[in-house]
Amino acid sequence: MQTKITKIPHDKPELIEIQCHSVSDEVREIVAFVKSRQGRVSGMADDKMYEIAVVDISYIEAVDNKIFIYTDKDVYESRQKLYELEDILKKKHFLRISKSMLLNLMKVDAITPALNSKFTAVLFSGEQVVISRKYVPDLKKALKGEIVK
Amino acid sequence: MTFKEFILSRVQVFFVLVTLILFGSAVLGEIYAPEQELRYYHMFSPILLAGACVLPTCVTYFKKEPTPLQYILRQALELAIIEVIVMLLVSPPPSYSGSETVFYITLGIMILIIYVLIEIMTWLQKYRQAKKLTEQLKVLRVKE
Repeated sequence: MQTKITKIPHDKPELIEIQCHSVSDEVREIVAFVKSRQGRVSGMADDKMYEIAVVDISYIEAVDNKIFIYTDKDVYESRQKLYELEDILKKKHFLRISKSMLLNLMKVDAITPALNSKFTAVLFSGEQVVISRKYVPDLKKALKGEIVK
Repeated sequence: MTFKEFILSRVQVFFVLVTLILFGSAVLGEIYAPEQELRYYHMFSPILLAGACVLPTCVTYFKKEPTPLQYILRQALELAIIEVIVMLLVSPPPSYSGSETVFYITLGIMILIIYVLIEIMTWLQKYRQAKKLTEQLKVLRVKE
């Protein structure tokens, strides 16, 4: 795929246009990246496509090979893979907290110890999600402002 | 949990056990054999006993995350193994004149108390860690 950048005057709105033969996964990935840079990701609910503001997302979970985006009130299904969303949302304070979940740290009210060597993240909504022990070092790094690979 | 993390946690448990066994021995000795005199080699007993108790706790090593029920069952198994090992290694002192059953029941209760104290200490450490993480989270939110 070739790329072309054209400078435009300030009075015209900026636009990214993709000319493609078919809307492949690669194209979707590029679109998702651009949207995430603008603070939005796409999600389906009731057969309709919605643009969800990243700041509204509490967590993203993979269940039976499907990806669900949870906000305080709604649940959306995403066509993207969890690792793709992880890559896109890393810089927006999203962190992998288990094999199947990405958590928006900005939505976490407190962290409490859990019974079986894990921690629990208590969200502002009152919901609780489990942080696996394996991902605790990444959480510590993220909270210190270090880059999590 | 990686094996390295597990080994570190066992070393931690070992040192806590040494301290608590020393304390338990002092309490039991004061009750049942206050006139007993100790030699220098007796000071190795808490270390050897703690080592003997820590080694079999490897049953609690888990590579995959255990469910709460699996975790509780493994902790119960760990306690049972420690109880059996200590009962096999420790016998009433020669100067002890009471019933052996009473001695072993007291010993069993003492082990249980020590075990619960270790669990509480481990929990408190995790609680402190969680509190620190929450504080760091607040700082991060303020920065944003």
